[in-house]
Amino acid sequence: MKHLIQLLFYICLSVSWVITAPSDDSDGCIACHQIIDEDRDDDEKIMTHIMEDVHFQKGLSCSDCHGGNPNAGDDEDEAMWDADDFVGAVDKKDQPRFCGKCHSDPEYMRQYSAHLKTDQESQYWSSHHGQKLSENDEHVAVCTDCHGVHGIYPIKDPRSLVYHMNVPTTCKRCHSDKDIMANSGLPTDQFDKYKSSVHGTALFDKKDIGAPACNDCHGNHGAMPPTILSISDICGTCHANNAELFKGSHLREIFIKENIKLCEGCHNYHDIQKPTDESLDWSENETCSHCHPNDQDKAKNLSNALFNIIDSLNIKIEEANETVDLAENKGMEVSELFFSLEDAHKNLIQTRTSIHSFNEEFVRKTSEDGYKAADAAIIGAEQALTEFGFRKKGLIVFSLILTFFVIVLYLKIKSMENK
Amino acid sequence: MKLYDWINERIDLDSAVKFATKKQVPVFYGTVWYYLGGVSLFLFIVQVFTGILLILYYQPGATTAFESVKFIVSKVSFGWLIREIHSWSANLFILFIFLHMFTVYFAKAYRKPREITWYSGFILLLLAMFFGFSGYLLPWNELAFFATKVGSDIAGAVPIVGDFLLKLLRSGDEVSGATLTRFYGIHVAVLPLVFTLLLGLHLMFVQLQGMSVPPEQENLPHDKRKYMPFFPNFATRDLLLWLIVLNVIALLAVFFPWELGQKADALASAPAGIKPEWYFMFMFQTLKLIPAHVWFMEGELFGIMMFAIAGLIWFLVPFLDKKANHGKKSLFWKFVGIFAIVFIVGMTIWGYSV
Repeated sequence: MKHLIQLLFYICLSVSWVITAPSDDSDGCIACHQIIDEDRDDDEKIMTHIMEDVHFQKGLSCSDCHGGNPNAGDDEDEAMWDADDFVGAVDKKDQPRFCGKCHSDPEYMRQYSAHLKTDQESQYWSSHHGQKLSENDEHVAVCTDCHGVHGIYPIKDPRSLVYHMNVPTTCKRCHSDKDIMANSGLPTDQFDKYKSSVHGTALFDKKDIGAPACNDCHGNHGAMPPTILSISDICGTCHANNAELFKGSHLREIFIKENIKLCEGCHNYHDIQKPTDESLDWSENETCSHCHPNDQDKAKNLSNALFNIIDSLNIKIEEANETVDLAENKGMEVSELFFSLEDAHKNLIQTRTSIHSFNEEFVRKTSEDGYKAADAAIIGAEQALTEFGFRKKGLIVFSLILTFFVIVLYLKIKSMENK
Repeated sequence: MKLYDWINERIDLDSAVKFATKKQVPVFYGTVWYYLGGVSLFLFIVQVFTGILLILYYQPGATTAFESVKFIVSKVSFGWLIREIHSWSANLFILFIFLHMFTVYFAKAYRKPREITWYSGFILLLLAMFFGFSGYLLPWNELAFFATKVGSDIAGAVPIVGDFLLKLLRSGDEVSGATLTRFYGIHVAVLPLVFTLLLGLHLMFVQLQGMSVPPEQENLPHDKRKYMPFFPNFATRDLLLWLIVLNVIALLAVFFPWELGQKADALASAPAGIKPEWYFMFMFQTLKLIPAHVWFMEGELFGIMMFAIAGLIWFLVPFLDKKANHGKKSLFWKFVGIFAIVFIVGMTIWGYSV
């Protein structure tokens, strides 16, 4: 009987433990604030995504950032106000330092990942956002404006506000808002321009995450507008050959002297369009004539010469494509010629790039390999077409011989059957 | 004639010549169908000759097969012609065997005493289709790779022995270089040997029993039945037709060459709209149309079983068609034949139109 009572006691104890055992969401702060959230409008709720937050996922709770006592139960004073380290809603001007408490501490951050950077706060203070904030201008972005507050996701998570595909939309929230940007002296059409640009189209329409977003040119935490000299370095990060060639061109010094930004002087910024070969055609485009109103002849000659080199190579490659297609459609084995066509096409891209040297001779020399490759494809395809002609002639001869034998046999059959 | 006499003294050529000149071929409205078997035989001979020439340059193996076929069609003198003739002749070979089989079926040539000729002919058709299936993989291109994958998958769905069959065909779990080597061996050694032996038997039966005529011709009085000598009359006509077929093959080879395509890549995704060879299309299309589950079994398994049963009935038709054995008309089996043709043609057209 004694053992039975003991057994019942342990069973009751176990059941009560299971019922009352604390779970992840039984943190005192979360329990109370979720109840408070229930009476709030959706856009004012602060706990909606708390469980998915990267900090929460890594094992941090509210008190790790805000201090206080999460085990104080219903006692609000003990939970928050009586605690020395309690920090409630963080003032905007204190936000970078608040996050920086941990994110600027290499020792602390190392426990989560050896690769996590810890220079975000110092970079931030060097940015325009940070500089303005330190001047007590609160019309600037702080950590939470870009990363969110209680629903912060890792940057590689597509739900994150700073996931590569989401960056332009996140920046747009302030930079396209005329009220927020009213005293900044900055325009608010950057997003619309970017969206219609070659980069924006690649990112939004083609979902190409290799396409640059705002932060790729302006930086992340140390966001600054590029200067005249730095713009080619920024564009050159991806367009390395173009930047290198332009650096060696005679135009570079002129651009600097005339205070023209190196790449955007011709390509614009934010609304950068896909360049076409026709951009070089003086009669079709005003890109060059915009800066060359007085010495048009020299610039016009160079522009037209470059256009002609590229256009001729284009025509040559087109001819090669058509000839190879023709041979292939006749059923000839021409797969090796596609390597030549590929070489020619690669060279066309190199030739287009080479115009950043603004050196006609250099561009012409670059295009030579393209002509050679296209010619090789044309010669190969023509040989295949000649071979096809030979096959046709052979077939005719063969058919004639067979037809002769067929007639002879037919006559033989007739003569046999007439006997 | 000295050579003839020399040989005749040793192997009695006179008897063979006597047999050939005495052999008679019935002349009636259906005489033209007799040529189909001869054309099939001619195409097999073409296959053997062109196949031997291709073996001289073809190198089986995942890293060499595609390259060697490319070499044959682009570098070897007239290599393209040999490959094209081999490919076209293979397709026509199966087409003519099908035509031959259906004419034999409707002429009821399978009835007593030619049941074994029918059985051997049916097995020859299956072997020819396997010839096609195994040869299709040999260029090791993308289409061939995935068609073999799909084809062997179907074999793998056969109950009980499916897994064994799949591994036997693929030489492993997946289509790989080992499958290619295996198919090569089957295509150039096993099948030719088995096919030639069976074809020899098939031809021997035809020679021993003579040409069959439909029951209504057989029932005619003897004086109303016409004949022509096999040699030289029928043989010369055969030769004439063979020459025309050869010319058609040459025409197809020059103007409609078979594309080599892209080299097979096991890691690449299957190209869209992948289809088997045309002679498997009716089965492929039917399997596609069958729902995922039929009654208590999987749709694919149900389809395979239906084809197996249909094939078995077709094979055993000499045994099942009792009326034909007694020289009577059997409408039921005639309609079965018409249904088979409509089904095969209909499903093939459907398969290519989607």
